[in-house]
Amino acid sequence: MDRREKIALGVAVAGHGVLFGLLSVGFLATPNPLKLSHPPIDISLVPDVALEQTSPTPNQPPAPSVAPDQGAPEEAAAPKAESAPEPEPAPEPAPPEPAPKPAPAPKPAPPKPAPEPVRAPAPKPAPAPKPVPKPQPRPKRPTPAAEPAKPQPKVAAKPAPAPAKAAAKPSPAKPAAAPAKAKPDAKPAAAKPAATKGEGKSATATAAKPRGSRLGADFLKGLSDTPSPAKAAAAPAAKMGAQAAANIGSAIKRQVQPCANRQVSPGPGAERIRVAINLRLNRDGSLASRPRVVGHTGVDDENRRYVERVDDLAIATFVGCSPLRDLPPELYDVPNGWSNFTLRYNLLG
Amino acid sequence: MNPVFNMDAATLSPVALFLQADVVVKLVMLGLLAASIWTWAIIIAFVGRLRRTRREMARFERDFWKADDIDAFHKAEASLDIPSARVFAAGVQEWRRSTAHEPIDRDGTRERLATAMGAASALEIDKLSDRLNVLATVGSVAPFVGLFGTVWGIMRAFTGIASAQNSSLAVVAPGIAEALFATAIGLFAAIPAVIAYNRFSHGVNKVEASLHRFADGFHTTLSRQLDGAR
Repeated sequence: MDRREKIALGVAVAGHGVLFGLLSVGFLATPNPLKLSHPPIDISLVPDVALEQTSPTPNQPPAPSVAPDQGAPEEAAAPKAESAPEPEPAPEPAPPEPAPKPAPAPKPAPPKPAPEPVRAPAPKPAPAPKPVPKPQPRPKRPTPAAEPAKPQPKVAAKPAPAPAKAAAKPSPAKPAAAPAKAKPDAKPAAAKPAATKGEGKSATATAAKPRGSRLGADFLKGLSDTPSPAKAAAAPAAKMGAQAAANIGSAIKRQVQPCANRQVSPGPGAERIRVAINLRLNRDGSLASRPRVVGHTGVDDENRRYVERVDDLAIATFVGCSPLRDLPPELYDVPNGWSNFTLRYNLLG
Repeated sequence: MNPVFNMDAATLSPVALFLQADVVVKLVMLGLLAASIWTWAIIIAFVGRLRRTRREMARFERDFWKADDIDAFHKAEASLDIPSARVFAAGVQEWRRSTAHEPIDRDGTRERLATAMGAASALEIDKLSDRLNVLATVGSVAPFVGLFGTVWGIMRAFTGIASAQNSSLAVVAPGIAEALFATAIGLFAAIPAVIAYNRFSHGVNKVEASLHRFADGFHTTLSRQLDGAR
């Protein structure tokens, strides 16, 4: 390194020192951010899933039957209890009926359960002196019946059998066995919404209407003053109401939307197919089992050949975007809770 | 630290960015800063040397072709530190050795003259372009070194995000800014180095070409002289 290079090195060092010095004192500093005339407001996003319970109070024990006119509708008891009454051979005071769920549960009514109750009714009326069978077939399955036109005839038939259990237990076998138990204290009030549909059609439905005046003297047989143990203990604290169900449904749809957006419509008209899909969820929002397609609507000649493909896409959508998050935990295992949730889904939203 | 210096990372202050950086990034930055200084030292020195060399070569060759007596010219000018003068001296020396004894081997003398002057000019070019390899190395490697520093710094920034459980921009930004500063310094060193390397390569090539031209012309002159020297 000769003298000239040493000079050059000195110049280079000096030049770098000057440049970095200038930068350090803010020569090229970013100007201060503009001043806002209004200070920013904090915004927090509130989950739009309803967390309220539709029926916050636990069900109360049924009122003890003391009077012959007990057959009259007990309005108070009806709405609260959702739990499935265990049918005991002894005619037990009917536990509060499951409140009719206005919620249009997406489940299409399986054709199966309907036929059985229909059959059962005949035997019952004979053994049970009570003319006031409860039309409680409000079990979950029947709920769907409310929407589509087809299930209606069944609903009409059901009230007669009064399979109280059906509410809790979907198994068709029970209602048949249970009918004998027609509950003395019928809760027509609860049953009404369902019954109204069928009234005109079936004679049994109309028969259900008569009130306490026709009760036999022994209608209190098996009743006690004490609250029935079966139901009160097991009753859930709340049930999920229609609004909450709808909110959970939309929350789930919103969460699977990214996956839904990836699905390509298999063909024209496929987006009209609405798939009723049943999700069995764990408490953490993951899928307990593979989603099942339990029904379709909107199938016509044009899109019939896409049904299977749409089923696959729908299942893939829910599988792909699980686990679901932020679903209200308190509505997990209440009746109709989202542990077993059915919702409608169609392509493109 | 001088209080005049603004230590806020938002001011683009190199000192602040340097002091906040990870040790690996600091090493990268220091190395690149040294490379930048060395590059500029070479550039400044080389510009002067190249300019002076070309000017003196032009003057020497002009004087040479004007000179009537090569021996006298050789005595006056051959000791100068000019590539052309060295080549000239090498040619004259070889000429004197080859023509010292009778009989003269003309073909062998021509060949030796060409070889001696070619070797001399190659040596001069080698000396002239000595530092260019540094420029080439800095120009090609500095961006990668800077990129390494950036990658390292960003990895560290992400680790910080993971440990802070907070991905807000205020947490991420300083780390990324200081990491990017490493790339900035790398480019800062590399760009002048690449430009200077190309420019100086071109200059050295021109010097080499003119040196060869001079050597060929001198060889031609000597060769003609050899024919008449019987």
